[in-house]
Amino acid sequence: MDFGEDRDSSVDFDGDSDNDIDFEDADVGFDTQDKDIKPRKKAFEVDFHVHSPQDIQGQQDKQVEEVSNILGQPLEATAILLRYSRWNKERLIEQYMEKQDEVLDKAGLGQDVARPPRLQVINGFMCDICCDDSRGMQTFAMKCNHRFCVDCYRQYLVQKIKDEGEAARIRCPGEGCNQIVDSKSVALLLSTDLMNSCRYQELLTRTYVDDKDNLKWCPAPNCVYAVDCGVKQKDLHRIVPTVHCDCGHNFCFGCTLLDHQPTPCPLVRRWLKKCEDDSETANWISANTKECPRCRSTIEKNGGCNHMTCRKCKHEFCWMCMGVWSEHGTSWYNCNRYEEKSGHDARDAQAKSRASLERYLHYYNRYANHEQSAKLDKDIYLKTEKKMTQLQSSSGMSWIEVQFLDNASQALQQCRQTLKWTYAFAYYLARNNLTEIFEDNQKDLEMAVENLSEMFEKSTDQLAALKVEMMDKTTYCTKRRIILLDDTAENLKNGNWKFNVELV
Amino acid sequence: MSGIARGRLTEERKAWRKNHPHGFVAKPETLPDGTVNLMVWHCIIPGKPGTDWEGGFYPLTLHFSEDYPSKPPKCKFPQGFFHPNVYPSGTVCLSILNEDSGWRPAITVKQILVGIQDLLDQPNPADPAQTEGYHLFIQDVTEYKKRVRQQAKQYPSLI
Repeated sequence: MDFGEDRDSSVDFDGDSDNDIDFEDADVGFDTQDKDIKPRKKAFEVDFHVHSPQDIQGQQDKQVEEVSNILGQPLEATAILLRYSRWNKERLIEQYMEKQDEVLDKAGLGQDVARPPRLQVINGFMCDICCDDSRGMQTFAMKCNHRFCVDCYRQYLVQKIKDEGEAARIRCPGEGCNQIVDSKSVALLLSTDLMNSCRYQELLTRTYVDDKDNLKWCPAPNCVYAVDCGVKQKDLHRIVPTVHCDCGHNFCFGCTLLDHQPTPCPLVRRWLKKCEDDSETANWISANTKECPRCRSTIEKNGGCNHMTCRKCKHEFCWMCMGVWSEHGTSWYNCNRYEEKSGHDARDAQAKSRASLERYLHYYNRYANHEQSAKLDKDIYLKTEKKMTQLQSSSGMSWIEVQFLDNASQALQQCRQTLKWTYAFAYYLARNNLTEIFEDNQKDLEMAVENLSEMFEKSTDQLAALKVEMMDKTTYCTKRRIILLDDTAENLKNGNWKFNVELV
Repeated sequence: MSGIARGRLTEERKAWRKNHPHGFVAKPETLPDGTVNLMVWHCIIPGKPGTDWEGGFYPLTLHFSEDYPSKPPKCKFPQGFFHPNVYPSGTVCLSILNEDSGWRPAITVKQILVGIQDLLDQPNPADPAQTEGYHLFIQDVTEYKKRVRQQAKQYPSLI
């Protein structure tokens, strides 16, 4: 019997690349040559597989059926049990064999063997929800025997499903009852139309993906695919699992944010939080304030003369030279004592304390700049699409021949996305030789990107002549990006980077 | 269940008049013009005998919405009521009154009131709703008990 569906599938995904198969087919015994041609998997790439909703449904059904056969429970009850165990089949079967009653109870199934759910008319019945006691009223109860009229039960389900988006774990409407309403009972109570309109089945599928650690929904708006990837949460400090959904969206499997290679998730979290908290404030502080030379309180001067008295420590100093005020003699309102010692020391100390702020702003500004440029490049591309059409008519090139613009634009955006994150990464890097290599790589990529970006802004008539050069530059950018990512990922995997913060 | 709020509340009222736990009061508000407003109930919860709450008769107001019994009623003690799970506004924080966790449409007014009576002497420190009551309960039980007994005297029986 096969309990290892998960393992099975991950084996499938290992050999995912089409190229692998092609080359294997062509393999006629030239081992060395084969190795040379075969594209090596880069250090920054991870194995993953994209599933359509049908795949997911199929997988889910298959597992339910399998376990249902083993446990001898009906399908809908098995589904509840599997959800209860978060789709860990082995554990469920083991626990079920050991203490069946307890597992059934905890999963919300009660203890007696299931009978098909049915509606009943009961004499002298009054519904505890609507207090209606009309004769001949259809009623429903699960094994827990909390019986309510069909209208109330239906209304309750619709509210749970539609308003609260609940499907897999709807409990009985009775007070304190833990019984879970299974899909067969839902189907009995709700019409097919109603079930479709409130997307019951979709929600059930959703919980399947949500429950499994190796599956995640693609976060792109309106995308229906789910991605399967074996990278575990605990490995996220060593690898950045960027996956590519069939809808074209590239995202990180670890945190489902937009692709942030080469920066690992823990640093991304830290960085985004820091930017959210600090960047504007830091900018403002840097531009508008100085620190008291004695107690380091941040001071904004919003008027008055240069004779400052710190409100906190009562230190008197000159706003211009930061020196002690008492040394100023009578030259008030006009400081020309730049070279005096006390002022010099004060400015030194100030510079040091501002350095860390400046350092952050250095990285932040570059990060923000690439983010902004990526947006602008996108706008330019939208205009370029028009250019592509113009280019076709003016130069006689075919649609295929003007595709180089599209390629260039995509490469540009991808590179900018990477560059952006290299700055967040560099901010957390301790200074050593590796860091210098990293910065060289970063510089190369940045130069290549700016070159390409510049070409993009040329007018249509110049573009035709630039075609070859642009294609070269596109390839070069892509290559530089891969080199940078590969190098960073390799070192990350081997734990070679030294960061100035804990990777948690 | 929309539109059944009033019907259900009428039945709740009938059931309550037939039989209710000793010392409890629950009745719909009467407006100045003499009409009855079923959507707001004025209740009294007696402190449990044998606890520090004994002797107090605590006024509680239930505000029902048109979505009742799909949605739970809002239960309010007077503003500033001393209890770790009562918000400064007087609103009671209790799992069965939370539509995302324990609320079920079959829960009756009687069950709500008894549930709140239980909560009085068994606060839930995992869900604090006010700082004062919570801190005293956690840090200074003697003072906490003193405050509870003081409060009981503030709400003597009206009968």
